[in-house]
Amino acid sequence: MKILVCVKQVYDSPETLVFDESTGQVTFGPHTVFRMNRYDEYALEEALRIRERLGGAVIDAISVGPARAAKTIRRAMELGADHGIHVQTGDIDSPGAFERAHLIAAAARGRGYDLVLAGVMAEDDMESQVGPLLAAVLEYGCATGVIFEEISGNGREIAVEREVEGGSRECLTLALPCVLTIQSGINTPRYPALSHVLRARSSELECIAASSLAVPPPAQSLVRILPPAQGRKGEIIEGTAVEKADKLIHILREHSLLPRQGA
Amino acid sequence: MSGRFFIIALHEGGRIQEETWELVSFARRCGAAGPVMMVLSDEGSIERLAGELAHRTGLDVVGLAGSHLREYSAEAYIRTLVPFFRDASEEEEVHIAAAHTSRGIDFVPQLSIGIDACCITAVEDVGEGSFIRSLHHGRFRAEVRADRAKVVITVLPGAFAPEDIEPGKPGRIRIVPAGDISLSTRSRGTRAPVHANMGLTRAEVIVSAGRGLGGSENIRLLTMLSSLFPKSALGATRAVCDQGWLDYSHQIGSTGNTVSPRLYLACGISGAIQHLAGMRNSGMIVAINTDPHAAIFRTAHYGIVEDLTTFIPLLVDRCLKRG
Repeated sequence: MKILVCVKQVYDSPETLVFDESTGQVTFGPHTVFRMNRYDEYALEEALRIRERLGGAVIDAISVGPARAAKTIRRAMELGADHGIHVQTGDIDSPGAFERAHLIAAAARGRGYDLVLAGVMAEDDMESQVGPLLAAVLEYGCATGVIFEEISGNGREIAVEREVEGGSRECLTLALPCVLTIQSGINTPRYPALSHVLRARSSELECIAASSLAVPPPAQSLVRILPPAQGRKGEIIEGTAVEKADKLIHILREHSLLPRQGA
Repeated sequence: MSGRFFIIALHEGGRIQEETWELVSFARRCGAAGPVMMVLSDEGSIERLAGELAHRTGLDVVGLAGSHLREYSAEAYIRTLVPFFRDASEEEEVHIAAAHTSRGIDFVPQLSIGIDACCITAVEDVGEGSFIRSLHHGRFRAEVRADRAKVVITVLPGAFAPEDIEPGKPGRIRIVPAGDISLSTRSRGTRAPVHANMGLTRAEVIVSAGRGLGGSENIRLLTMLSSLFPKSALGATRAVCDQGWLDYSHQIGSTGNTVSPRLYLACGISGAIQHLAGMRNSGMIVAINTDPHAAIFRTAHYGIVEDLTTFIPLLVDRCLKRG
């Protein structure tokens, strides 16, 4: 069994982003730290568990991104992936889901993956697209939001449960090969083992220039970045901490939401 | 927006999903002339579903019918919709909208590849020939434009209010047999929620925690705060449950419980759309967060920028002192 796990490098905290209103660009500030997308951590962990259950499975981790993305691929190897593939985008910091999916598909095609796993979404763009786009490009089956999986039928199919609204689960069986996007909470991601860390340090990443892969032109373009919409005009309660507490208590009492204590 | 505009109505257990009526508002905001409702189901129920859509919206309805559509699967939807839309010429502008729900986001991106369309997800507003969606935890919005004639869109639930539709006379219905396609996906039905929490849905006050709580050791702060209110319960974001700080029965959001208490106290919650989906109809929302730019402050009626670990004990203390 050959498994491909798609891992994306994202910033650790959106608080370090810098918005330049004159150019409409969001850039990473000097204190931006990058790490693996949390949803992809669950996808990788699920791949590791499949390998433990089945034995003999090989796990490749792939990421599309600039030079710094190599660190996230190494992290995947420290956690237990056998092989790392870096599709290098050079100056393009964060290609869109469409380009990302086509680049992964171009790199993956012909390698005979039985199963492709990705997180249900990326924390930064929140598009939830790469997994299902990739499936369609590769002509693989696909299930999104997977919270349970079990390979069955002598490794020819996989039973999955998808989490849907209100926590119900849609149960289905897909033929392999297929793409699953993994919902958080399906497992508890492990910490790296020292042996894997040492191995990851000494192994080479396979690097592919994105420009060497044939992909279609982008399907959409960014017009501009906007500040958030002004939603409900909520009131920010100001003052010292004590004043804030007292004001809030007053508001809640006015609305009969907070009874007098001991009454 | 020129060209044809289709709205895909999703349904579950014989009921049209509520988000469908919001999609009609969305189509109107896009300036679509005569959008067409679409529904996919088996022969036994297609006429009733199509009839309901035609009566409630007054719009024309296309019903795609086949036994492979008895239960939802992405494969069944794609293999039915791709041939339907492939008939359109490459240059013809076509917009197709579905709700950004677990099903919408399951089949829509795959459909886009099958018909060489642009796919834009979680759209929450409309620009001049463009669409607007949130990114970076709701801190910014991106305005994007499609570079293909065909565009498929998922629309964020709650972003467009379902307008009072005065349908007048019902739209015309066209039932199109979609053949009987043999699928490689086998549906095995739906399992009831594992973590439904009646205590949460009945509570008048919910004290809810996000990742900003910091750790399971701070759950006691929530318990302390909730003890001020009778009929209160503890809630949490998915991230808090994933961390194991509270179990999944406390989860509020699109894949958890949906609540509308009189008071919702959001503690250390950033305000991701998946969480807002489960609590935005609360009577009063009060948010406490250290980050003044957190998206939750745009949903909250009252916001307090403070550290939970110092502010909650202070709040409880002031409350007890004042009696």
